[in-house]
Amino acid sequence: MITVNQLSHHFILGKKKQETTLSVLQDISFQVNKGEIVTIVGKSGSGKSTLLNLISGFIRPTEGGIWINDQQVSDLTEAEFADFRLEHMGFIFQSFQLIPSMTAFQNIELPLILKGESESSRKKITLAILEKVGLTEFADHYPSELSGGQQQRVSIARALVLNPPLILADEPTGSLDSETETELLQFIKQLNQEMEITFLIITHDDEVAAIGDRTITISDGRIVEGARSQ
Amino acid sequence: MKIKDQFRFVLQNIKKNKVRTGMTILATAMGCAFLIVLASVGYGLQESIVKDTLEQQIVTEIDIYGHIEEDDNYRSLTMEDIDYLESIDNVNAVTRRNQLRQFPTFSLDDYQSETTAVAAHFPSEVDAGLELDEGRLPEKPNEVVVGYHFLDYFVQDVEDEDIYDEASGEIKDEYLYQADLIGQTLNMTVKKDLDVDGEEQTTPLTVVGILKKPTKEWVQDQNVYISGEVFAGVEAYTGTPGGELGVDGDELDSATVNAFDEVKVYATNLEAVQTIVDELDDSNYASYSVVSEMKQINMLFTIMKAGLILVGTIAILIASIGIYNTMTMAVTERAPDIGIMKAIGANPKTIKQIFLLESSYIGIVGALIGTIVAYLVSFLVNLGLPLIIEFAFQEELPEQLQFSMIPVSLVLISVGICLLVTILSGLRPAKRATQIDVLKAMRREI
Ligand SMILES: Nc1ncnc2c1ncn2[C@@H]1O[C@H](COP(=O)(O)OP(=O)(O)O)[C@@H](O)[C@H]1O
Ligand SMILES: [Mg+2]
Repeated sequence: MITVNQLSHHFILGKKKQETTLSVLQDISFQVNKGEIVTIVGKSGSGKSTLLNLISGFIRPTEGGIWINDQQVSDLTEAEFADFRLEHMGFIFQSFQLIPSMTAFQNIELPLILKGESESSRKKITLAILEKVGLTEFADHYPSELSGGQQQRVSIARALVLNPPLILADEPTGSLDSETETELLQFIKQLNQEMEITFLIITHDDEVAAIGDRTITISDGRIVEGARSQ
Repeated sequence: MKIKDQFRFVLQNIKKNKVRTGMTILATAMGCAFLIVLASVGYGLQESIVKDTLEQQIVTEIDIYGHIEEDDNYRSLTMEDIDYLESIDNVNAVTRRNQLRQFPTFSLDDYQSETTAVAAHFPSEVDAGLELDEGRLPEKPNEVVVGYHFLDYFVQDVEDEDIYDEASGEIKDEYLYQADLIGQTLNMTVKKDLDVDGEEQTTPLTVVGILKKPTKEWVQDQNVYISGEVFAGVEAYTGTPGGELGVDGDELDSATVNAFDEVKVYATNLEAVQTIVDELDDSNYASYSVVSEMKQINMLFTIMKAGLILVGTIAILIASIGIYNTMTMAVTERAPDIGIMKAIGANPKTIKQIFLLESSYIGIVGALIGTIVAYLVSFLVNLGLPLIIEFAFQEELPEQLQFSMIPVSLVLISVGICLLVTILSGLRPAKRATQIDVLKAMRREI
């Protein structure tokens, strides 16, 4: 599903002429198989988010390659990557990233609109997903009218709506209390089993890390454990 | 993403910022209306002046002065030229006239008039639009028709009496010929030479018709239209071309005898005039037509209109600053939303389209409102300005004078400029929207 090969990344800091480079990731290589749940753990500042952002295409690697579904995504243009994301990837963010001026329904419908689905099929799919995440009665609520757990379920519904084979999550439980966290983890497990969706989850929480079939540990920009599946 | 959905997004965004968008649309509408109204003055005056000129002339008429010879001299036209002129495409008629070069006296009982005698070719005159007020056209050499105003000067020959009305300066009715002239015999008297008591010749001519009043208000037609035979008779009598007095008879060679004084070509329609004039130019005929004159007037107005449109465009350019500003603010405000949309897979092209659509929407609605307002203002100007001017300067204006006119072409040009400018001013903000950094936007750093 995902192959990361000798990936390195550094940020350039400061103004021109007096810029310094900050090396964040060095020589990262690992694979994620289809249907796996892989968690990535590591201390704060170890480079976890940077790694996920590289895989997501939000930033481009300084060195090395990334393949998703046999497509070398690190070579795609920004526009091509956008289309690829829409088609193949779902995202769950720590801070949900819902559009505040849109209702739960409209937020979930957004990827379908971007894909160019017809209005009738959009409605059908969105209502089905709303039911799946148990938010049917909150369809017309704005994000500000929903609890954190409900908002995160909306964002999961949005990630699922186009049936992507891969979902990337950066600290998905970071903003949730432990009860909703447990609920969410169960839901992820269920999706993984029922729909064979591959998950790559970043966390610093041991309980979350435990749902992974495998855990990769990063320290100071290097993988120290779990690169290969057992 | 479908255009329909993009448009729905745009409408939602506009709804969220009604006042700001409304003000920008207002500015655009004002710019567009200003442009149209300004340029409409050029169109209106052109229309008025062209219409005025055309109404006072026969537009299909082309005067031919002569043929330009190799030595740059003009040669009078002969029958050969007439045949050629008649052969040109879309020529309806070629009239030719010769005028006696002395004024014969026409008399009937004790009434008389000294006026111009013209030999005309009636079939071509009829084709060119000559009409009779009464009677018929001449059929025999000694038959004549007279101009509409002939009778206004056909006056009793009385001595020592004041025949002029003091107030109007016209001849008093009681001295003018009042009976029916048709069927009467006029005696045409021509002189042989300049000698006052010299030899004279009198030819009896029968009046068979009176011509219609000339269409041009100021033209007075008091001519007597004689036949070519009578004309030739006068020439033979005096032995000079056109019966001219006081010149050497030897000048009466064939070149001048068979030439025409006045030749006019009539085109079948207005559109054909220019092509005929062009052909005449190619064949070295010196000609004049209203259409050629119109061409120059129109050229002048085209330059003036272009200038006015240019000035008006400045108003739209100013409005475009508003659009640029509004769109930049819209992009900044929506940066977090744009970031989220990009993150979940919105193509930069789609985002650009949405913003371009929004600025185009402002442009289109602004241009639409501006056009409606411009028509309104134009109507009011045409209605009110003449009243104001008449009131302020106590001066009557020509009736069909139109200050402002908005043809469809002006609307198309203005709306085109308006849309072009608005789309251009929306281009940079839209491009900025596509360049929004996903991570920064999601961290609310923009
Ligand atoms: N856009 C950026 N510009 C410069 N430095 C960055 C940027 N993003 C992250 N970093 C730095 O990279 C390092 C790793 O950050 P991150 O990947 O967010 O760590 P983690 O998610 O593991 O806490 C940190 O030292 C952080 O300061
Ligand atoms: Mg992080």
